[in-house]
Amino acid sequence: MVEFGRGRTLDIDMRTHFTFFTIAATALLSVVAAAQNLPWNNPGGVQGLAAPQTGPTAPAPKRDLSGIWDAGGAGIGARGMPAAPLTPWGDALGKTHHSGDGARMVPAPDINDPLSTMGDPSGFPRNLLFELRPFQVVHTPNQVLMLYMFEKRWRVIWTDGRQLPKDPDPRWYGYSVGRWEDDYTFVVNSVGTDERTWLDNAGNPHSNDLKVEERYRRVGRDLMELTVTLDDPKTYTRPWVARDKLQLRLLPPDTDLMEMIPSATEAAAVKKIYAGEK
Amino acid sequence: MVRITTIVACAAALLLPGASRAQQWNSAGLEQSAIDASKTKSAPPPRRDLTGIWDAGGSGIAGPGHQSAPWTQWGQQKASAYKPGNGPRAVYEADINDPLSTVCDPAGFPRLVLYETRPFQVVQTPNQVLILYMFEKRWRVIGTDGRALPKDPDPRWYGYSVGHWEDDFTFVVQTVGMDERTWLDNAGNPHSGELKVEERYYRVNRDRMELTVTIDDAKTFTKPWLGRDKMPLTRAPANMDVMEMICSPTEVMDFRKNISDRTDKK
Repeated sequence: MVEFGRGRTLDIDMRTHFTFFTIAATALLSVVAAAQNLPWNNPGGVQGLAAPQTGPTAPAPKRDLSGIWDAGGAGIGARGMPAAPLTPWGDALGKTHHSGDGARMVPAPDINDPLSTMGDPSGFPRNLLFELRPFQVVHTPNQVLMLYMFEKRWRVIWTDGRQLPKDPDPRWYGYSVGRWEDDYTFVVNSVGTDERTWLDNAGNPHSNDLKVEERYRRVGRDLMELTVTLDDPKTYTRPWVARDKLQLRLLPPDTDLMEMIPSATEAAAVKKIYAGEK
Repeated sequence: MVRITTIVACAAALLLPGASRAQQWNSAGLEQSAIDASKTKSAPPPRRDLTGIWDAGGSGIAGPGHQSAPWTQWGQQKASAYKPGNGPRAVYEADINDPLSTVCDPAGFPRLVLYETRPFQVVQTPNQVLILYMFEKRWRVIGTDGRALPKDPDPRWYGYSVGHWEDDFTFVVQTVGMDERTWLDNAGNPHSGELKVEERYYRVNRDRMELTVTIDDAKTFTKPWLGRDKMPLTRAPANMDVMEMICSPTEVMDFRKNISDRTDKK
């Protein structure tokens, strides 16, 4: 039984189903067991677990991001991001986004966030700006693969020197290529993202012209920093930094991550409850 | 038609021959000729290695569903609530209640290996085999560190999997803890939370692998049965960028609305 405010409850059998919504609620509480030492269903994301390391760490390996990384509570980004000023085009698009958080926040029944109300794909780069739960990085000879706990989705970053596509058909998770700027800094450029997706929980919009740069800097064996820059002149008056050296901690390699998959059926059940409130 | 990510559009396009030509981005899979050619000659397989991108071609899709073992009474009752779009119990389009095709709920496991088994990539780490599927853009982990499967697990859409090498070329995966809400296939075969699935990946040679999937669910079926029987998989080029094929609830709702609109006009 999960409380949804104003005395209403959603009758979800928590023993039977992990739902995205119950997880989202429980993961924000600090009552979740410590992420370590669970053989299965590790939630990660607990405030404090991924706090910046104070003690010494072993040196970073060269040109290697492999492992399971956790930004802790900072990865969630529930409030959304302070964006650069919008262009008139961006402002018009943003006005159609009725978000559940941030400056565009509306009452729950009026939210039209395609992720939270429909279970549509989060898409890229929203999956870096919202619900950035633990993710695993794997290298192959010609790729860096990112496997995200949230949505249980993966994306490929090609490192074989190919060019980004010109005028690509939009994809939910875009098209990405990456290169090592030095032995500890991996830079990813992405284009071709889908205009239907929101950037964050505040309903910040983007156009198909959006270019995203991710910089992964491996500080030590156990610590990595992620900076995400958004460049979308159709929507924003200037590029802006959506993640500024977000700290990611290395989790044990045997960490089994729990499922956290938005289901359309569950989203519809929650929407009914909100509609009843209206 | 600018947008190619619509699952409905993808499904249609992939049925056309020649839709899968080699390209740098958005490959739909191998040409049938490449899949046929792999039967003839190839280098020996590497040992204990399934890494690469694998493609079952048209046989991976399995649109009509599978011939299952007979249902138990419990299985029959559960199946009677399922209104599939294919197979012997197919209903009219507007009456289908398949949670994948009508609302885009997760396909789940093992439906992911019984239906729309589009190209998938296998990656190995020291303690895992990871499988990254084109369909749904979903991934799953198979623990190879010797851990035991959980007892009485909370159900997950994609279950809990462990694997071991039976010999240098045969990788065997056991899975439990699957979510009873998912269907097994496009014919609306049901399963219970007690379902156990065995996948056997047999690497025949460098370019070829065979997948056998055994469904063991005594609550639902009177005996275990094979969901896939030595389904051939062909290794695709390592630089193949697979297209997106993600079910979006908004798209499917629009699609359904069009269908019911047309039905009303009849």
